Amino acid sequence: MSDFWILNMFFVVLLFLIGLFCLLAMKNLIKLLIGIELLSKGILLALIATGFEKNTILTSQSLAISFIVVEVSVLATAMALIINLYRHTKSLDVKNISNLKG
Amino acid sequence: MHTFLLLGLVSCSILAVFSSDLLKAAISLAGASIFLAMLFFEMGATYAGVFEISVVAGLITVLFIATISLTTKEEETKHSKRLRLLFPLILIGLILIDFLFMRQYLGGLAPLAGPAETGEFGQIFWGGRTFDLVAQIAIILSGVFCVLALFRKRSGDE
Amino acid sequence: MSIPFIAVPLILASLMPLIGKISKRVLPDVLTSAALLGLLGYSVFAGRQTFLKGADIWKASWLGEALNITLVLDSFSVLLLLTISLIGLSVALYSIDYMEHFEAKASFYALLLVMIAGMNGLVLSNDLFTMYLFLEVAAVSSYGLIAFGLERNELEASLKYLLLSTVATAFLLLGIAIVFGLTGSLQLAAIAEAFSAVNNPAIVGFCMALFIMGFGLKAALVPFHAWLPDAHSSAPAPISAMLSGVLIKVSGIYALTRVCFTIFGTQPGLGQVLMILGIASILVGAIQALGQNDIKRMLAYSSISQIGYIILGLGVGTPLGILGAMFHLFNHAIAKGLLFLNSGALERATGTRELDRMGGLARKMPVTAGTSIIGSLSIAGVPPLNGFWSKLLIILALVQAKLYLPALIALLAGILTLWYYLIIQRRAFFGKLNETWNHVTEAPFWMSFSVLLLGTICILIGLLFPLVILGWIQPATDALTAGISQAIGLLGL
Repeated sequence: MSDFWILNMFFVVLLFLIGLFCLLAMKNLIKLLIGIELLSKGILLALIATGFEKNTILTSQSLAISFIVVEVSVLATAMALIINLYRHTKSLDVKNISNLKG
Repeated sequence: MHTFLLLGLVSCSILAVFSSDLLKAAISLAGASIFLAMLFFEMGATYAGVFEISVVAGLITVLFIATISLTTKEEETKHSKRLRLLFPLILIGLILIDFLFMRQYLGGLAPLAGPAETGEFGQIFWGGRTFDLVAQIAIILSGVFCVLALFRKRSGDE
Repeated sequence: MSIPFIAVPLILASLMPLIGKISKRVLPDVLTSAALLGLLGYSVFAGRQTFLKGADIWKASWLGEALNITLVLDSFSVLLLLTISLIGLSVALYSIDYMEHFEAKASFYALLLVMIAGMNGLVLSNDLFTMYLFLEVAAVSSYGLIAFGLERNELEASLKYLLLSTVATAFLLLGIAIVFGLTGSLQLAAIAEAFSAVNNPAIVGFCMALFIMGFGLKAALVPFHAWLPDAHSSAPAPISAMLSGVLIKVSGIYALTRVCFTIFGTQPGLGQVLMILGIASILVGAIQALGQNDIKRMLAYSSISQIGYIILGLGVGTPLGILGAMFHLFNHAIAKGLLFLNSGALERATGTRELDRMGGLARKMPVTAGTSIIGSLSIAGVPPLNGFWSKLLIILALVQAKLYLPALIALLAGILTLWYYLIIQRRAFFGKLNETWNHVTEAPFWMSFSVLLLGTICILIGLLFPLVILGWIQPATDALTAGISQAIGLLGL
């Protein structure tokens, strides 16, 4: 695979790591959603970069568009959950979702 | 140029993670989307770039701002100052992990030849991946029904 | 002709809000149950066809023009379609009475139908990315269903599940992107062929790890199981039955098996990793189930343990092991669905899920007690119920492959399983009737009907197991091993 692809994948993994860091270290529920967004950006970059590399950019675009639709649905549901949680607890602190012991 | 866009993307992401004001975080996220869309345009994925800007930098940012207005009062998000000062070290650590990982796994990968792509986008999207469209309809339905179910009016005795 | 499996639930779901406006109670119930009954019958029919004629590949066409929708229906898919329809029908019948106190039954049915459509689509598709999309369809609707009651615990469990699941799908998609980059195609058969030419074991191992992490979280394999006890215990009872009975199997085990066995074949590493994860799941699930007081959490940990058995059977890789694993998949779906539905009946009658506050309810709720015993004995592996045969097959396969330690662990964990199920039975149903429960009555008609249906099927399968194995499970195993031998042939092993 060419150097260009490796450069892009480097940034993909970096975005992944930053997104995971955000999910693990942030104390606000909405920041957790930002972490999910960053993971999704990494995925999109990976899909398009791979498509560019293999010269199948059109198929990759279709995959990317489908994934963006999925992302919107997931985020809308997550926000609905957070708004409802806020109605219960009046706070956005992550401590509020440590109630169950898992 | 490409590297500049990639660095812009990562910087906006880091800004989004670390802003204490949620609105600034949402705007930085939109900025990151715009950088990503420019990357798409540069790599030839014009349709994906347009979709990315209109949906992610547009619709999702609006959703974020709506959620933020519905849920915060005047409080700001608190996270430890220590984390913020420590982050540059963490970032260097992440970059190192990234670099080692890339070298081990992806260096020297030989791609296999795949089938050449013919046609234009419309054909491939509507013709080649038609089943995905059924799935997308289903995804939209599930998202809509989830939001409807979670925001329904509750009568007294539920 | 397998399009009705996806089209019928989707179309009915999109019409459900309108139907809900017309008639709040009767029409949504009747239509949903009728549709699922139809799908069940159709899946039995399709099963017979597939058995007689082999795999069915159906290309859609619209008004004469060929659309590019290819639905592949082989025996493995058919077994899962049957399971989804059967549990779906029982859940729909049960919900007629259980969801009475919710106003928004139409929304509930709509989400349930979309989830079933998503699972059916996952099982029928042949393309890696389409499988991912349908997996997300089922997942998003399950987030809504878990949080349906809008209580704080339910919302919290759903949000945690959402966050973990999104991380898992991110890993999954990274794997898909790398596979696409290496092979240039997303069709499973083409990937299998192309992958045999890759001789970079590091990247193959990395892709395998990504897929196992992604699908393993959906299947609640240890160490990715943390979301399951919260999600399955906080959800409404019919949804817990659906999740524990079908969703973790379809989006976890089916997807994992299809993707990994078709692409990677039986690489020795894959089998061993699966066995280790399986044993870990068996032990962690069983041990943690013992300490629970909440009946649904106990059942949730038990699910983790039983999924471990299924993965252990698949990890062994021999035809007998895969046969046992698939049979156990089917049996566990029925029995665990039954038990979760009963736990819902208990919760509705007594208002609590805590076992030490119940007691002696067998006199007041005989149907619930009787079917609970059948379900518990089935999962614990007591003859002549169905669970006994499937566990026996898995243990036999281990012994046959000379893996004595895992066989011993599986056997001992089976005894643990029996123990904690007997605890449930004793604390909830037998013993002295707690004074507070003098007023409880048996569960309403449709709830009892659906659990009786599942219980009868448990007994019938247990007694008639050779017929079931020959007619349904063996063809499924053959379909899967055919894929494996094809991959092995291509790898030149």
